Amino acid sequence: MELEVRELTKEFGPVTAVRDVSFTAPAGQVTGLLGPNGSGKTTTLRVALGLVRASSGAALIGGVPYQSLARPRRTVGAMLEATGFHPGRRARDHLRVLAAAAGVPGRRVDEVLGQVGLAEAAGRRVRGFSLGMRQRLGLAAALLGDPRVLLLDEPANGLDPAGIAWLRGLLREQAGQGRTVVVASHVLGEVAQTADHVVIISAGRLRFTGPLREIGGTSSALESAFLKLTGALA
Amino acid sequence: MIRSEFRKITSIRSPWLLLAAGPLIVVAGVTGLIQSGGNVHDPAVQRQALAHAGLAALLTLIFGIVAVAGEYRHGSITDTYLSCPDRGRVITAKLAVYGLVGAAAGLVSSAVALAVTAVWWAAKGGSLQLSGTDTWLTLGGGLAACFAFSIIGVGLGALIRNLAGAVAVALAWIALIEGIVGQLAGSGLARWLPFYASEALDRTNIGGTTRLLPQWAGGLVLLGYAAVFAGAAVAITLRRDVT
Repeated sequence: MELEVRELTKEFGPVTAVRDVSFTAPAGQVTGLLGPNGSGKTTTLRVALGLVRASSGAALIGGVPYQSLARPRRTVGAMLEATGFHPGRRARDHLRVLAAAAGVPGRRVDEVLGQVGLAEAAGRRVRGFSLGMRQRLGLAAALLGDPRVLLLDEPANGLDPAGIAWLRGLLREQAGQGRTVVVASHVLGEVAQTADHVVIISAGRLRFTGPLREIGGTSSALESAFLKLTGALA
Repeated sequence: MIRSEFRKITSIRSPWLLLAAGPLIVVAGVTGLIQSGGNVHDPAVQRQALAHAGLAALLTLIFGIVAVAGEYRHGSITDTYLSCPDRGRVITAKLAVYGLVGAAAGLVSSAVALAVTAVWWAAKGGSLQLSGTDTWLTLGGGLAACFAFSIIGVGLGALIRNLAGAVAVALAWIALIEGIVGQLAGSGLARWLPFYASEALDRTNIGGTTRLLPQWAGGLVLLGYAAVFAGAAVAITLRRDVT
C-alpha cells in the first residue's frame, strides 16, 4: 500500500503552498520528504490525511483518498507537528480516547506505550512531559492502529541522541515489515541514515524524486545535492 | 465516536470543575434571595428561588464552547479528524454528548435549587408548594435551558475556533450586546433574541424585562437557535481546512 501524490496543487488564498507535485512513496521503504521550512512538506502531508482540501490533483493512499478509507487509523498512522495534547489528560487516557474513536482494541494502548518507551509515564498527565516524551506519545498514537502506512512530520524533533537512534531502528523495522514509511524532515543527516527513497520539494515545487543512492548515499553528498536542488546555492 | 467524546470529558478535570460551579451558584443565589428579605410565604418568591436552576446554563454554554474550540486550542483536533475524517459525524457526536451532559448538569442544578429552597422555606417557617405545575415548569425550564445552551456552545465553538474569542463573544453577547440590540429593536422584537428567550424559558428574568414570550414559546425559540447553531457548525466544519 503506497502513498501516491498526483499533480497536487494547493493554494491558500493568494499563496500557492504546493504546485503540481507528483511522487510515489513505495511500500517497504522509508521515504524522506525533504525541503526547507515552508516548502510545502506539511501541506502535502495534510492533504494526504484529508485535513486540507487540494485545489487540484490528489494524494491517494492505496489508491483512495484518506476520507474514503474504511478504517483510517488502522490503515494510516500519522504524526503532525501541530498535533497537540490536552495538558490535563494522562498519556494512557489520551490513547484510550483515540482508540475508542478508531475502533482499536484497548489492549493496543499499553502495547504502543511500551513500544515507544512510555510505559512508566502512562499514568502521568501530559502537562509534565518533555518535548521528547510528547514526541514519543505522538508516535504511539501513530502506531496505535498497527497501520500499513506511516506519515510522520519531523518525528526526530526533541528526541535526544539515544531517542534518535531508537527512532531510526523503529522506522527501519516498520519498513522491513513491508509498511510504507514517509518522514518529512529537514535534518539531512538523519534522512541519509534512514531513508531508501528521497523526495525533495522547494517553494512548493518538486525538485527530485528517486532512490537516495542516486543523489549520493552519504550525509554530505545529500546535503550538497539538497542545497543545489533547492536553490540555496545559486 | 460517542464513546471517544465521553472519554475526552471523563479523563480531564476541568469540565467537572466548571460544571460543579453550577450548584454552588444556585445555592448562593437562593440564599441571597432569602437574606435580602425574600418572603417565603409569597408564591412568586418561591418561583424566583427555584428559577435559579437556570443560572447553570451560562456554564453549560462555556462547557459546549470548549468541545470544539478547546480542541483547536490544544491542537488535538487534528488527531480527532484523523480518527474520523467524517467531520459531520465528529460534530454530531459532540452535540449528542455535550447536550446530554449539559442536560444532566441542568438536572443536578434543578435538584439543588429545589433542595436549597426547601431548606430555606423550612428554616423560615414557610410551606413549600410542590403540588402546582408551576414549580415543575420552572425547574424543567432551567433544565431545558442548560441543554439548549450546551448545544449553542458546541455550535459557537465550531464557528469561532479561537477559544478565548468564542468565550469573549458569548459573554459579551449576554452581558452587553443583546441588551443594546434589544433596546434598538424594541421589546416586541427583543423577546425573540436568544437570551431573552432563555429568560422566558427558565424564568430567571435577570434583566427585569416585562415583555417576555410565554415559557413554551421561549423554549421553542431557544431550541430553534440551538438547531441553527448546530446546523451551521456542521456545515462550516465540513468545508474548512485544518492547518
